[in-house]
Amino acid sequence: MTTNRKGFTVSLLLVVMMSMLLAACGGNDNTAGTPSPGSTGETGTEAGKPVTLEFWTIALQPTFNDYFNELIAKYESSHPGVKVEWKDYPYDAISQRLLTSTASGKSPDVVNLNTEFASQLGSKGALLNLNEYLTDEEAKSYFEGIYNSTVLDGKAYALPWYTGTEVLFMNTKLVKEAGLDPSNPPQTREELVEWARQVHEKTGVAGYAQQLVSKLFPIDGIPILNEDKTAAAFNTPVAEAMIAQMRDLMAEGVVLKEDAEFSKQIQYFSGEQVAFQLSGPTFINFIKKSAPDVYKNTIAVTLPTGKANLRLSNSMDLVVPQKSKNPEQAVEFAAFMTNAENQTAFSKVANTLPSSKASIEDPFFTQSDGSLEAEAKVASSQSLDKATDYMVGVPNAGDINSALARGLQEILMNGADIKETLNAVEKEVNQILNQDS
Amino acid sequence: MYKAIRSESFAAWAFMAPGLLFLAVFTFWPIIYGIPLSLTDYSVITETHFVGLDNFTRAFQDHNFLISLWNSLVYVLVVPVIQIISILMAILVNSRIPGVKMFRAAYYIPVVTSMVAVALIWSWLLGNNGVVNYLLLKVGILSEQISWLSTSSTALYVLMFITMWKGLGYYMMLYLAGLQGIPADLYEAARVDGAGPLRLIIHVTLPLLRPHILFCTVISVMGAVRVFDEVYILTKGGPGTSTLTSSVYIFQKGLEQFNFGYASALGLIVSVMVAALSVLVFRLNRRGGVNTY
Repeated sequence: MTTNRKGFTVSLLLVVMMSMLLAACGGNDNTAGTPSPGSTGETGTEAGKPVTLEFWTIALQPTFNDYFNELIAKYESSHPGVKVEWKDYPYDAISQRLLTSTASGKSPDVVNLNTEFASQLGSKGALLNLNEYLTDEEAKSYFEGIYNSTVLDGKAYALPWYTGTEVLFMNTKLVKEAGLDPSNPPQTREELVEWARQVHEKTGVAGYAQQLVSKLFPIDGIPILNEDKTAAAFNTPVAEAMIAQMRDLMAEGVVLKEDAEFSKQIQYFSGEQVAFQLSGPTFINFIKKSAPDVYKNTIAVTLPTGKANLRLSNSMDLVVPQKSKNPEQAVEFAAFMTNAENQTAFSKVANTLPSSKASIEDPFFTQSDGSLEAEAKVASSQSLDKATDYMVGVPNAGDINSALARGLQEILMNGADIKETLNAVEKEVNQILNQDS
Repeated sequence: MYKAIRSESFAAWAFMAPGLLFLAVFTFWPIIYGIPLSLTDYSVITETHFVGLDNFTRAFQDHNFLISLWNSLVYVLVVPVIQIISILMAILVNSRIPGVKMFRAAYYIPVVTSMVAVALIWSWLLGNNGVVNYLLLKVGILSEQISWLSTSSTALYVLMFITMWKGLGYYMMLYLAGLQGIPADLYEAARVDGAGPLRLIIHVTLPLLRPHILFCTVISVMGAVRVFDEVYILTKGGPGTSTLTSSVYIFQKGLEQFNFGYASALGLIVSVMVAALSVLVFRLNRRGGVNTY
């Protein structure tokens, strides 16, 4: 019996040691190229040394394979010695992929992230400060509000790529049933609420569904953080009033009492359980497929603004991880992908909006053939110059978003006290800002 | 004799080695590695610093973590319910009623169905305009629609029900194996002594199933405390923190917010809690079973 126990102990030790050896195999190369300020002009590679850039995107394959393959081929031919390896991951998987690659010392060079995630990584020092690589002219070629979304402490952590601003989709059948005139749409949030109330009273259908996220604050001009991004600034009487109004609207049935993710919002609009939808133009693609009859009765108009009179963009960015082994070439490639010409071309194939100022002058963004898609595109593109991402320069944006969303859910779904919850969330957000991790 | 034992144990270890190696690399090592990690601010992407016990003190001041622990403990309430129903189901499908094979298969289907599919199906059934609301409104139990997964008073219990629904068949099979190991003459002897069906269950079946009950209860408690899939897919811990369980919170802190050091500390605290619960279950179930030798 003792032999068995000894054997077991020895075996277990062996196994643990083996596993330690195996686990130690993944090195962690921490070297990052040193920046050389200035132009990202077409330099090719240093001393003809071949370079392979790993370029990651989110959910763009296989739909846009032709566009990207052509563009990458064009880039490679104008940059001898540079090879671009394009990989595409689902939205939910890209953060884990980035972490595991970084941990194993095989960081990609150019990565497509949304603004929230780019700010989160930027504030942790995981991304290159692109201001050290870009010329003034290059930095100014993007819409200022969108470019500044990922600027923290004067460091730009991302190049804006394709973007979207929300428009108001309207089910004209329901709106007409409620005795309203769709050709004279609401201009402000207050008017939209009145319309929603009338639709609910006359047809029994709710006005709209929405997700309970932190952007509800900036829409009404409530800043999430103070000027220098060191403390929470959303715990104000204005915020209390805004949330109280939202709670009352949910109780009335004017707004659906639900924290509705985008997929849920599609279901509600397709099923004619709501008359309005506030979202980007891509919403059309889903409605067209899921509810052709509703699609026929839908129009898109410019989104009514809240008290802040601003329109929020929702951008995808390109970032260069701090651990990229080819930072200069990576920034150059990211700048190429996001330049005006290529952004315009991508908008045409993907029905998205560009973040570069020059693109918007293309007739594609100013002329409408009367279709729902064209109406939505024109309506949203004309508000890009006023657009800003709502997490502008917020460090640890992901953590802060989660805290605010949880707080809103506690109040609006669970009936928690507004003031108490805002105090608790304020404390949590300040803790997030004060901790290093 | 000694040689025989040695060669036998060598063979046993040889057979176990591949599985053990796999376990060592993907289970034991991460657990061991989690201990030093929990004393740092490790985040994969930035420089790591030693922070001592800061993560642990932070954990016990973290309101959301304490709520998640509470929710996980509430989730354990699902364990006795699962065990009682699955034992009854096992007794049912162990009988010789017609069509029993169909029932066995039907009860087992949820077990082999992927949790993502199960969660999506239930989210449709439980949606505002889902079948559940429709039926309950039709028969007059409800007067208005309920958002089952978006209402704080119902969300956690609905998730527990889904966990139970999916797990029943699995435990039923384990209990069925146990039932089939109980000698028939024990039942016959009890019947001769005048025991009815209920007495047979209480005095023969349950005492002899005790090892199975112990095993099923332990893994069921572990599963309940570590529940993740259905919660993450259906509610992500919401609304608010109503369904925030410890695994979901650890996942959010680690893989969504890159606070791996802190997440490791939380993981260790939860592991200790699971170990304590398992010991408690062992203490409560020490006797019984069939001696097969």
